[in-house]
Amino acid sequence: MIETIFFEQQIAEHPTTQRIRSALPRASWVPIDRYQELFNKRHQNFKLQKKNPALILAKKHDNFVLPVPSGFGMDSHKSFYFSHMYNCLYDCKYCFLQGMYSSANFVLFVNYEDFFTSISEKIDKYNGKTLTFFSGYDCDSLAFDKLSGFADEALNFFSDFPNTELELRTKSIAIGSLLQRRALSNCIVAFSLSPAEIAKSLDSKAPSISRRISAIKQLAGAGWKIGLRFDPLIYTSDWQKLYSSLFSEIMEGLDPSMVHSISYGPLRFPKKMYKKAANLYPDHKLFAFPMEEANGVISYGTTIETQMHDFLKSELNNYTSENKIFQCIT
Amino acid sequence: MSKVTGVDNNSKLQFKFCWVIALRAEAAPLIDAFNMKIVENKSLFPIYANEETGHALVISGMGSIKSAAAATFLKNHLKINDYSAWINLGIAGFFKDPIGDMYQANKVVSKESGTAFFPGLRLSKLVPAAILFTVSKPENGYKENALYDMEAAGFCEMAPSFSCNELTYVFKIVSDTPNSSSSLITKHLVRELIEKQLSKISDILSEIEILVEEEKKRLSIPNEVLEFEKRFKFTETNKYKFREIYRKWRVTFPSRNLDLAEFLNSKPKEIILKLEKEILANAKNWNAL
Ligand code: SF4
Repeated sequence: MIETIFFEQQIAEHPTTQRIRSALPRASWVPIDRYQELFNKRHQNFKLQKKNPALILAKKHDNFVLPVPSGFGMDSHKSFYFSHMYNCLYDCKYCFLQGMYSSANFVLFVNYEDFFTSISEKIDKYNGKTLTFFSGYDCDSLAFDKLSGFADEALNFFSDFPNTELELRTKSIAIGSLLQRRALSNCIVAFSLSPAEIAKSLDSKAPSISRRISAIKQLAGAGWKIGLRFDPLIYTSDWQKLYSSLFSEIMEGLDPSMVHSISYGPLRFPKKMYKKAANLYPDHKLFAFPMEEANGVISYGTTIETQMHDFLKSELNNYTSENKIFQCIT
Repeated sequence: MSKVTGVDNNSKLQFKFCWVIALRAEAAPLIDAFNMKIVENKSLFPIYANEETGHALVISGMGSIKSAAAATFLKNHLKINDYSAWINLGIAGFFKDPIGDMYQANKVVSKESGTAFFPGLRLSKLVPAAILFTVSKPENGYKENALYDMEAAGFCEMAPSFSCNELTYVFKIVSDTPNSSSSLITKHLVRELIEKQLSKISDILSEIEILVEEEKKRLSIPNEVLEFEKRFKFTETNKYKFREIYRKWRVTFPSRNLDLAEFLNSKPKEIILKLEKEILANAKNWNAL
């Protein structure tokens, strides 16, 4: 339950702010000038702040849409990402957000319309090309949706551009706004998944794997295209067995034609981020493994990464055609 | 200067709560409640403390600059740990009645510089929140829907750098309003207002203590590590490497102890290498859960 909402005075009257105000009448509403006054300031403690994050409502002024880092999406498409929100309701131990920000407070940019204008400009600019827009880069696309109402507005917008793809990346089961409408053929709802035991240990506060799988099946049943994202891959003694049974659990009863794409990616941290995350969770096993460092990147190292890559590729080939499977390395 | 009873003054004392209080009359009920004794009375900023109850308190006098300076003095004088909570509590003017209510400041604005601070985690189940303006002269106009004090902004400028913003708290008890003039405030009233909130203050401290303990656990250096660092001459780089590899080793082998006797003839680099090898040997059967 959000207790404190800091809002930039310039967006006090924005319809999204007004809607959130009526949804959270009992919270304390505190005016601010700019969100940077309190977000990501020095001496903030991400881990403690995560215990009771405040919501910051702000206006984004620029950089609405950015090209994805290389290796993020399918190479065949020109891809962009946008973040209508910074930070996430969940608390995954490997999340790069904890290394990127010192604040765990949620920043929600309420001027969705400016994101859509910027996306339209990109569509115009690349007229005729298949573009993919990724939501949920600095947040989870759906976890906050009951309050933000973003997905609905984004889907309304993208319904006018059937040749442009929108990927909503999520671990959330807040799929109500999707199920209430007809499936959009250019929208991919991509779920991040790990074997249940691993998710239980690492994906704090996120819905369990069985609930995520059930959300996938509901959405697929309603005609939504599904993305399966096994990223990051977590190494543990019986990882092959765990991943293998995860795949069969997901695919059981799921129409393979509803699977738009499957991707997997190794666990990797920029060195600075790894240090920050390990410092936040010094007792967690994730940060005790003898990782390797190469070119400023901390990873399991080539041997383990290759083993996992080879296994995933051959295992996933049993379920879908090769052209739907790709490795994601950022 | 008198010493904190029974403790080596050069060692880091285990204070969980550091109070920065403007007036003696505001401090007195806290000093009594937490059984603090004077430990520094010769400087501008008297310090009271009780290591057993985990409380230290400095009296800053009025004004933002004094509040920042007194907090710094307390930090340095008692070598306060970086997981302690810092609390500024005192009386304040408020735009509405009644006097005696307590608030947590969720935004503190220096009227002088315009700088805003956002101290602490919200404790809304225990205490309501309000915006607080720190002014340089007593405010009798109560123009905005807010609290008014003369210290918190200075305190907030400094205290988060001692631990972190989430362990920095500002609580104010209403002493004057448009209907109850500040000219009516006496030492006796101040004491009474604070005494009446002691039970709520104690509930608040229980909540903050959970955060302090968590940070203490995260930041404390295990005795084993300190022993090794005392016994062997680690360079700064090796010290960092040793602490990092020890952290992983400890998580990997939670039931083992690092036995000094095993390493008596080792060089620091060899110690690091041995721990690395043990972790690596265990990696094949790694259980990430
Ligand atoms: S769901 Fe994604 S964004 Fe949210 S904490 Fe987990 S990894 Fe981070």
